[in-house]
This record gives sequence, structure tokens and C-alpha cells, in this order.
Amino acid sequence: MTFTRRTILAAVSATALLAQPIAAAAQELPRNVRLVIGSTSTGGDTYQNSSIVADALAEHLDINIKVDAVGATEAFKALERDSRGTTLMIFHDQSYLGNLYGVSGYDDPFENYTVGPTVAINPGNAYLVPKSSEYQSMDDILTAAENGERVRVAIQPGGVSEIGFSAMKNAAAVRSPGSEENIVAVNTGSQSDKNQAMWDDLADVINGSIQANEQFTQLPEDDQKAMRFVWITARPATLEQAPEQGMGETDRAALMQYAAPETSVPLNEEGENFTFDKEFFFLFNPEMDPAIIEQIDTALAEIFENGEIQERQKASFFIPNFLPSGEAQQHLMDKRDTYEQVISEISGES
Amino acid sequence: MEFLSLISPLFLCLVVGGTLVGIIFGAIPGMTATMAVAVCLPMTYSLGLENGLALLLGLYVGGISGGLVPAILLGIPGTPSSITTTFDGYPMAKAGEGEKALRIGIIASFCGGVVSLIALFFFAPALANFAIEFSYVEKFLIILFALTVMAALSSDMLMGIFSGFLGIFVALIGVYDISDGGNGELRLIPPGTEYWLEGGFSLLPVLIGLFGLAAILEEAETGVKQGQTMDDVKIGGGGGFSLGIFKGQFVNIFRSSGIGTFTGILPGVGGSAASILAYSNAKTFSKHPERFGKGEPSGLIASESGNNGLTGGALVPLLSLGIPGDSTTALLIGAFTLQGIQVGPLFIGNNPETWNAMIFAMLLANVAMLVMMYVAIRYFAMVVTIPKHILFPVILMMCVIGAYTINYGIMFDVWTLLIFGLFGWVAVKLGLEIAPFIIGFILGPSAEVYFVKSLESFGDLTIFFTKSWIALVLWVLIIGSLAASVYIARNKRATDQLA
Repeated sequence: MTFTRRTILAAVSATALLAQPIAAAAQELPRNVRLVIGSTSTGGDTYQNSSIVADALAEHLDINIKVDAVGATEAFKALERDSRGTTLMIFHDQSYLGNLYGVSGYDDPFENYTVGPTVAINPGNAYLVPKSSEYQSMDDILTAAENGERVRVAIQPGGVSEIGFSAMKNAAAVRSPGSEENIVAVNTGSQSDKNQAMWDDLADVINGSIQANEQFTQLPEDDQKAMRFVWITARPATLEQAPEQGMGETDRAALMQYAAPETSVPLNEEGENFTFDKEFFFLFNPEMDPAIIEQIDTALAEIFENGEIQERQKASFFIPNFLPSGEAQQHLMDKRDTYEQVISEISGES
Repeated sequence: MEFLSLISPLFLCLVVGGTLVGIIFGAIPGMTATMAVAVCLPMTYSLGLENGLALLLGLYVGGISGGLVPAILLGIPGTPSSITTTFDGYPMAKAGEGEKALRIGIIASFCGGVVSLIALFFFAPALANFAIEFSYVEKFLIILFALTVMAALSSDMLMGIFSGFLGIFVALIGVYDISDGGNGELRLIPPGTEYWLEGGFSLLPVLIGLFGLAAILEEAETGVKQGQTMDDVKIGGGGGFSLGIFKGQFVNIFRSSGIGTFTGILPGVGGSAASILAYSNAKTFSKHPERFGKGEPSGLIASESGNNGLTGGALVPLLSLGIPGDSTTALLIGAFTLQGIQVGPLFIGNNPETWNAMIFAMLLANVAMLVMMYVAIRYFAMVVTIPKHILFPVILMMCVIGAYTINYGIMFDVWTLLIFGLFGWVAVKLGLEIAPFIIGFILGPSAEVYFVKSLESFGDLTIFFTKSWIALVLWVLIIGSLAASVYIARNKRATDQLA
């Protein structure tokens, strides 16, 4: 068989023509997508929230999306390996807080990945004391620190659980410089460990959540397990969107008493309060085609406009919070900068 | 009896169907009850709470029980909690008593499940209150007590203990995880391997590598022999089984089920510790400890009633405190959350119908497990008659799939399987003992966390002796277990010398 110039030209033209739809297809999400999440639990809020979003996105785009609970380190690795859009990731503020606290396996997500749209908030991050505690409020706790009392706070170090603790130390420093040294961390693991630290009298305050701890606040004071909320870190604007009936026996109005501005944890001397919303958002491989990001943004905008996803999210005590990629990046970077400032203010003492 | 209105034909079908699927998951090496529940959890959203729980509880009971099938017939624990089932079940199968061993294991599993269910139904809140008396100190001592089984399981005590400590050492490779309250620092990782070893070695791939792949390599080395025939395995007519085997086993069953239930109520201690503790105690209190590990029905009974005793126990902290007792019940929280139901100290009082429906589902799942597995024994037992040149590649394939899927698609888990398969094959030649190694590997991380946290929380080593009366009781048990192991080993040596 001999190849003439015309044959070669025809072959090249045919290849170019055939390649066109492939190139076009490369600008869209593939038919099968793996959505990795930064948690290993399929029973936790990250999985629950991700599966709600994945279901809606899969139905809207008529593709298959499988949520894999591989954990943060493995999820970042999987995302690094794949720029085709076959692997996407959903995680929350832990992704940059882990980096700020210097936890192994956490790179700067704003530098190493593309931060995508936000989808929801879990407004439940809270701090509790034993029901019989002398501390009735955050003000009592900060005053105790000012008076030289040592206040022990049970947290899981290196992320979402620690940021509220850092904020407490920062608030103590704002109110009375030096008093932050009296607020000390008790490093524990799971929620079970934090509760146990309280029951063993190893901690005066514990980090918890509205969802996991509300029932303990309903127990009588003489029950060793009884607790009381002292602080819910969510922004008031976020908590206002929670269901009116709140959680369990505590309605939204009661929950708001524990959040800013009623409960004040000063961020700075200008009178701003520290707040923290646990926000869930997409992360993409930095080399991924921007057209795919645009496709996801557009699809999510349509899904949220439709309104059904909000019902599912609210039923699971999530606050719907869609921001397209551009806005989400700016919002999360601003948030990161605020927390970076808080952590640097108290660095060396936490 | 208002809960009876929740019991629909769909509810019954979901319990039975869930149990069947759970048995299949448990019976495939590398697949676990946790995986079965994780896979089916999203389905529960559309089923409603009671029906969703019916499915998940069926999967849970079936998954824990199904693990005995490969443990007995192939010597590969289907789930980590059936590791001690291999110690006596597999020797029985090799001696042609696979069907008999299966029948014993199934009945013991049923007894364990029912005892724990009774404890759950009548004493859940009281047990939960007792469980919170266990701080890091007491939990460390329980793990230490379970670790004493390393001595009891060793044929050469010194080498066995060394193997156990090697297992602990290997388990500590990787990051000291912040989710355990650690500092997030890497340790024991050779330079250049951080990318793969950051998270350490996963338990399941290690387990099936050591028990599954290593056995296949061993067979490949010696040459694949003809498998057992139908006549060899005594299939049909009970396979030499009679209920008389359970005569004199009442205490063993009750003690092992109680240990399983109690281990289950302690969050974080872990399901594997249940069967290990039950087995260790059965051996310590046996009149014939020398028979353990060689096909002793008492060991099989202890292991299976211990691991099924866990099922009800692990639900105690979940339903009384909102705290899961093991990895599978951690997923059950997701089912409640999906339906917008809080679990915590008020759950039972606020949701009596759901509570009763759960108890009924657990009971039904145990009965369904007993009936289905009993009926299927004949077919399970035929596995050993499959020619090995067909059986081994299939097992190998299932092990690889199981290793790959256990953490939702991490390739390093497959390498872990292969590494520990090779290690298991070589280790035996070097005189290392696999059973103590794997027990050290399973319990090592918990021992480390509880030990470090005890010292961080309470200051110094004296706390292990002074913390509470529970700590003192545990020390008595630890010392008793060690003394018994030494006594048994000396007796065995004296008998061997006489022979």
C-alpha cells in the first residue's frame, strides 16, 4: 500500500473531524464521575450533604455520580491524579483550617486546587458545659480566664473543632491580654471522647454540635451526662434560616440565644464578634477544564433555582448556601484570612 | 404493642433480605458488615425510618454472622471479628468436620445475638450509664487484657509475644491521627514512602493477606493437592453434629456473649476485641486448654457467641447516648440523621415504637440468620470440595476486590494485601506466629491512643492502679490471664517431655 500526499491529507482531515466531538465532550463532565469526600464516614454530615448534591447533580445532568468516603488525605491524592473531571471533591472548612493549623496531608487548597461552588452550611458547631457548671455563659468563661481560673476545653485539634477554641483564646486576649493563657486545650478525638472528657471532669467546656448534643441538654441537672449550650458559632444570618422548630426540644429562638450577637465572643477591639459556619464546597483539580467548572456552576444554579434541593438540605438540618465558583472562592479566601489572623494572634499559646 | 402497626410485610422482607445480603457480604473475604451497611445506607432514605432500620439491622446481624463461613472453611476470617473463629473452626474443617463446625458456629452466633439482645432490651440505659465510668484508663486496661491472649495463643510463648509486639509496631506506622486526638505527626515511616504509608496499613487487607494470600502461597509452594471429596467432609446427616456438643457449654456461651455485649457497649474498644477476649477466657477456664487451636468446639463457640454478642451491645451506647459502639453502628447514625431523627439519651423514651421495632427486627434477623445459614450449610460446606486450582484463583480475586473496595478504591490497599501475603508466607518459615501478630496489629492502635491519653489526662503511671475499682478488677483479670497462660504452657511442656 502506498501513501500519497492526498491520502495522508484525507486521513488527517478525517481525524480532525472525528476529534471535534471528542474535544467538545472533553469540556463536559464525563458520564461517570467519582465524588470523593474528605471524610471516611458514610454516616456523617459531609457524606450526607455530598450525596444530596450528587443525587441532584446526577439527575440534572443525566450522568452517574458516586460518592466515595475516602478521607481527606486520599481524596486530595485522588483529585491530584485526575484533571479530566472524572474525580471531583466536596469538603468543608477543614480543608484550609487543616493547612492553617499545619496538619500533615493538608496543602493550601487555594494554591493547589481550584475551589469551586459552595453548596450548604452545617450550622451546628457548638460549645457546651456540664449542666451543673458554674459557667452560665461565654462571658462567665472569659471572665474566669481573666480572673486567673484555668478553663479546659475539649477539642479535636487541627481544624473545625479547634477554630472555636482559638477564637475563645483570641477573645480572652482582646478582653484582657494575657488571660488567654488560662484557656487550655484538652486534645481528644471523636465526639464520644469529648463527651467522656466532660464526664470524667477532664474538661470544663467541650466542643460539640447541636445535632449530637441537644438531647443531653434536656437531661435533669443531677444526671452526670447533662449538658448546657454556652456558644453556637454560626452567624446569626445562617441560624435564622434553620427550621423554626430548631432541633429536638430546643427551638430556633432558643438556639439563637447562644449565637452572636446575644452570645459575644469578641474577634477584635472594634466590637466584631467571631463567627464560624461550617461550609461545604467543591474542590477541583487545578488543571481541570474551566468549561467543566462552568457546567457545574450552571447546573447547580438551575438546581437551586428549582428549589427541591433546599427542602432535602433543610430536612437534614443543613442551610442551603449556593455560591458559584468565583464568589465562593472570594468568600472562602476572606474567611480563611480572618481565621489565619485569629490563629496568628494566639500562635505559640494554643 | 403499638409498634406492631409498624411491622408490615415490607418490614419483614427487609429484615430477611438484609440478613441474607449481610451473610453474603460477611462470607466473602474482604467484605464486611460495615461495608454492607455503608452500601445500603443511601437506600434507606426512601424506605422510611423503621423499614430502613429493618434493612440495616438485618445486614448488621447477617454480616457479623456470615464471617464464620470463610473462617471455618477456608481459614480466612470473613470479618475482623471472626479471626478467632479460624483458630478452631479451620482445623475442624481440615479434619473433614466443616459441616459440624458450621452448625456449632451458627448456633453459637444465634445464642450470642439473643443474649445481647436481651441485655439491650432490658438494661440499655443502665449499661450506658455504666459504660461512661470507663475512661481512657479503664479502656486501656481492657485492651491490655485482650492483648494477654497473645501469650495464650502462642505455641512458643517468647516468639508469640515477640510476634504480637511486632504486630503492634507495624500497626503504629503512619500518622498519629488527629481524629484520635493525636498530633497529626508521621512516625515509623521509611523516607520516601510517606505518600503511601501516611495512613498506615489498613486492617482488612492485612488480615486477608496474612490469612488468605499467605495460605495460597503456602499451597503453591508445596504443590496443589487434591481437595477433599464429598465423603471426606461428611456432608449430610449433620456432619457428625449433635446438640450434645453444647452440653456443659452454658457457662461458656453466657460468658462469651456477655463479654461480647460488654465490649460492644464501650465506644472505641472495637468489635475484634470482643471475640479475642471471649476466646481467651474460654481457653483460660477450660479443662482442656491444650486442645484450643486444634479444633476445639469450645473455642469456636466462644468466638462466635462473643462476636455476635457485640451486635446488641454496640447498639447500647448508640441508642442511649447517641454514640456508636463500633464502626457499623456509626453508620446506623446516618440512617437516623437521613430521617431527621436525633439519637441520644432521650431516644428510647421519645421513640418507643421505633425502639420496639428495632428490637423486633434484631430478633427476627437472628432467627432468619439461624434458619438461612442452617439450611445453606450443606452448600457452604461444599466449598472445600471445589478443586483448589479453581478455588484459589477465585479466592485471590475476591481478596483483591475486597482489599480495593474496603476504603472505597485505594490501590495501596491491594499492595498491602500482597505485601502481607508475602510476609505471612515468610514469617511462618522464620518461626513468627501469625495469630499473636494480627492480634497485636488489631489492638495496637487502641492501646496506644488510650495509653497516651491516660497519661495526658491524668499525669502519671500510678493512675493505672489508682483510677477506680474497675481498674483494679481489670488488673486482677490481666494477671490471672497471664498466670494461666504460663501455667498452661508449663503443663504442655511437661506433658511433651513425658511423651
